[in-house]
This record gives sequence, C-alpha cells and structure tokens, in this order.
Amino acid sequence: MIPSGISGINDMLGEGIPKGSRVVYSMEPGVNGQLFMISTLASAISKKLSCLVVLPFTTVDSFRRDAMTTRSGSIKFSSKKLTFIDAIDRERIQKSTNSTDTAQKEWKAKISKICRDKKVEVIFVYLDLLSEEFGIERALKIFEPEKDDPQRTLIVEYLNLEGDAQLDRFIHDFSFDVVISIKSSFPPLAPFDYFTLVHTSWSPKSARSVPFIIKEGRIVPYIPRIVVTGPTKSGKSTFITTASDDGISVDRFGLDQDSTTVAMDFGLLEWKGFYITLYGTPGQPRFDLMIPGMFNHAMGVILIVDATKPDSLSRAKEMKSLVKERNMPMIIAANKGDLPDRMSEAEIRKGLGIRKDIPVVFISAKQKANVRHLLESFVDSITQFPF
Amino acid sequence: MYSYKTGIEQIDQLSGGFEAGTNILILAPPMSYADQLAYALTKPVTGEYAITLSTNERAAEVVDFFKVAGSDKRFIGVIDAITKSSTPSIIDTPRLRFVSSPTDLTGIGIKFSNMIEAIFEGDFSDGEAGLFPPPIRFCVNSVSTLLMYRKLEVLYQFLHVLTAKLKKIEGVGIYILNSESFDDKTLSLIKQLMNCVIEIKIEQDGSYLRIMGIRGINPVWQKFSVNKGQVTILP
Repeated sequence: MIPSGISGINDMLGEGIPKGSRVVYSMEPGVNGQLFMISTLASAISKKLSCLVVLPFTTVDSFRRDAMTTRSGSIKFSSKKLTFIDAIDRERIQKSTNSTDTAQKEWKAKISKICRDKKVEVIFVYLDLLSEEFGIERALKIFEPEKDDPQRTLIVEYLNLEGDAQLDRFIHDFSFDVVISIKSSFPPLAPFDYFTLVHTSWSPKSARSVPFIIKEGRIVPYIPRIVVTGPTKSGKSTFITTASDDGISVDRFGLDQDSTTVAMDFGLLEWKGFYITLYGTPGQPRFDLMIPGMFNHAMGVILIVDATKPDSLSRAKEMKSLVKERNMPMIIAANKGDLPDRMSEAEIRKGLGIRKDIPVVFISAKQKANVRHLLESFVDSITQFPF
Repeated sequence: MYSYKTGIEQIDQLSGGFEAGTNILILAPPMSYADQLAYALTKPVTGEYAITLSTNERAAEVVDFFKVAGSDKRFIGVIDAITKSSTPSIIDTPRLRFVSSPTDLTGIGIKFSNMIEAIFEGDFSDGEAGLFPPPIRFCVNSVSTLLMYRKLEVLYQFLHVLTAKLKKIEGVGIYILNSESFDDKTLSLIKQLMNCVIEIKIEQDGSYLRIMGIRGINPVWQKFSVNKGQVTILP
C-alpha cells in the first residue's frame, strides 16, 4: 500500500493506495486541490519508492519551489529515487517530431526507458497538457507498462473541464481503480472545498464526500457541523465540553443552581486528522422551533439520552422526530451508561422507536475516552454515508 | 444591482455603466491600444477591486499602469503568467500571484479563486476595506495569448467556468482578443461567452470603438483616445 498522504482518504481506501493501481485526482477549475497530488508524492518519496514525475506545464525548479511552499517545505526532493520530465523535455519532443503520432511514440519510449532504468514504482502525471495534445486515451497509453514490465502505480492529476461525465470515463473507459473528485463552492457562498471518493475498483460503496481545509501545508478533512441534541439534562453540554479542544456554552442558572443551555453549545476539536465542530441544541420544548434550523448543513446528529431515566425517552423521541425527515447519519449516545441502574439497549431502542442501523453506544459524557470513541465511530459513519 | 462605471462620461450618462455580471470582449487589431482601453475599463473606482490576468506583461508593469492612472495599488491584484518562467524563485504575495506559464490553466484557476476569496475575506487590501459584497473588475490580457498555448475547445471550457464565476459574484470581466489573428469560428465561440463586445478599428485619423450589447448605447463607431487610464470619446 502507498499512503495517500491525506488524512481521511487512507481510511476511506482501507489503508492507502494499492500498489499497481491507477488513481486520478480530478480537479474542477479554481479548486485549491494541488496539494492532493503533492501530498501523495511526498508520501511515496518518504516511503523511498522510486518515482517518476511528469510535469509538462512547468519546469522542475518551479515545481519544486511551488510544492515546497504548498506543502510547507516537507518534501525530500533530494531523493535519488526521484526523476522528472518537465516542460523543457516536452518542448524538445515537440521540436524533434513532426506529428502527434511520432510525438506520442517518443513520449512512450522515453517513459519506458526511464521506468526500466530507474526501476520506477510510481508515476505521477499532470495530464492536462498531454490529454490536450494526444487526446486523453492516447495520453494515458503513454504510461501503460510494456508486456514484461512490472506493475506500476499511476497517479494522475486532471483539470476536469468536462464535469461528471469525465469521471465516468475514468471509471468505465480507462479502468481507474480510484477516482477522487475535488470541487469547491465559490463566493458569495462561504468558500468551501470538498473531495469525493467517487469510485474504488475493489468496493461497491457509494460516493462519499468530505469537506476539507488546508492547514500548514496539510489537507485536513473538516466536518463542519455535527448537531448534538437530546432532552434537558441528558448531558449534551458535558458531552461537548468533554469532546472539545475549545468551545462555549450559552447557559442560564436556575434556582437549584443547576445550569441549562438556553441558546446553544459550540465545540471545536481536531482529532484523528479531522476538524470537527459540534453544535449542541437546548433540550427544552420551547426551543424546538429553532432546532430544525440547526440541522441545516449538518453532516450528522448525535442524540443523547440519559440511560438512567426511562421517562425522558418520550421527549428524546420527540426530538428525534425533528431529524426524521433529514437524510443524515444518526447515533444514539446513552449517557450514564456506566451506572448500574441503566436501561438495556433493547429498552432504549423500543422507547425511541429507532431502526436497527442506528447504533446505540453507552457512554459516560464525563469520560473523554468514551466520548472520543463514540465520535470516532460516528465520523467513520459520516465519511461512508451517501449524502 | 451594482453598476460598474466605464469612466467614459457619455456612456455612463446614457447607460449607467456595465451591469454587474457583464463579460465584455474587446476585439481589436494589433497595435490598437486595446490593452490601454481594457485597463482603463478595469481601473477600480473607490470601494472596488481589480484583478488582471497578464499573459503579456509582468505584474510590475501592470501595477504601474494602474498607479499612473491614479488607482490605489492596495485594490489591484495581478495573476502574472510571465515572470515565473524566468524567475522560478518568485514568491506570491496577497496581491501578486505567479503561475508558471500561460499553459497552466490549473494554476490560473487556483490563483483566481484565491484572490477572490482573499477579497471576500478582507485579506487583500492591508486591512483597508472596500465595499461589501466587493465589486470586482477582472481583466484577461489576453485571450489571444492563451489561445496560442491552448486549444480553442479547452480554452472555451475554461473561460466558460471563469465567466460563470464572475457572474455569480456580480463582477465584471474584460477580455482582449486580437481580431485579425483568429478565424471566424474562434471569434464566434469566444463571443458566445460574452454579453458585450467592444470592437476597435484604426483609421488614418485615429482609433475608433463600437460598443454592442449595452442597453441605451447605439453600436456606432466613435473616435476615442486613452490617456493615463482615462478614455475620452472625441468629437
């Protein structure tokens, strides 16, 4: 396996990119996605794999500098196992040939020779200009191994001007094993980049999309909103406080000196390579009107119930119904699950009337390990959910 | 809806300027000062921002033009597709960004998006705020050069994305195309992406322009001159 160098993608792929497979990073124009290819290249170099990088659009010098800036300087370009073909080589081939046929043959001969001489294991190709020059099919043929050659991994970056139809061609016509599409929203909406694992040849799972941000030269998958809801005093604020690196709670103290959330809780955490924001709803019925609005743009819902209070399940069921019509992953966090008088999973399922595929996890909202374990399992569900 | 003043008195009086979301093609023969006209139309007024994609001149030269024309350089951004090929070590700044060559449409697209985002997030003008949502003028100097490096079909698709984004942010786009170097198919395809075309011709007594696609403006030839970023329609 070759690690993709990108948090989240390795997990989605299993462990990484299987050796000998064909991978495409398809980028729509304007999306800040160059770091995907560069991260995978950095990862292959750090694994001491012999790599060939084909960059017909620029020179090696420019590329190195740009990649070092983009990736905050963490690429070992001095590796002897690294070979480049750049814009100067492309120009030489163009000048020395008089037709696209001979140019394509020249390219193929050059690539084959380097691959044999340098025992190349992974080829990284910026395909944009070659696909324009030869057509995408013939451009890809340049990188196909000869009969007796060992299998090589092919990683392609492609500027996708044709849209989703081109992704289908990568899957069906060109037999790519991994197709990852990188897209973005654009102002006046908040700038919002996301990648979608469109296809893997070894798994029939549906497409999964994950927003990402770029932080210190790394691609960080970002879950912009998980809503934490549940009845009053079920432990929502405690859950968010325990889970978060940073956050706020808008509370009011009652006569009994207990606090209750009267607006919302907000928590932010960076964990397992993901950035996650948690939004906690108030539990009191008078705030129910504002809850559906909080589900807008949410990627998942954690419903917290107090596992020692069977009476609270009817209220929890009411709150669940606010989510019902929305197609998003949900998990039930049964708080105080460490206490002896807690309900069983079957009682909670019956009380809430939930489907079998919605997990019920017993936790103590005060225990960081419990809370983080639940989040880990839930983030996994979110990345596999066909939004 | 916001209107972008052209800076040409007669036109602004009659039409109010370019409507937000307008994409304008300047079709001009060589040596007709089309770039001067394009920059004059790109020059931002107070509160506006301007971005130029330059495939012909270095960023410093583009910024100089706007400075001479009286613009505040904190509101001027340049995507320079020239300098990096000779100076690979050159580093991006918030307002000056460099791509390796005019072939690099991936890089151009990214730098364009980055600049727009920086403007929307208020990170562009050293803390000096313009209007919000920010009115943005965008100039491509020139489509002709891009066509020398990339196939028409590819460039058409790329410009299609770019013009659509400008409409979405209610900006205005100005694109220069040499009218004598390309066939009718090319001209007609590029025109399809535009709402307005300004044609330029050169006669013995000077340069003339004709504007098509702006409400209230008759498409008649008018003599003009450009001096320090100011376009004047001559009698």
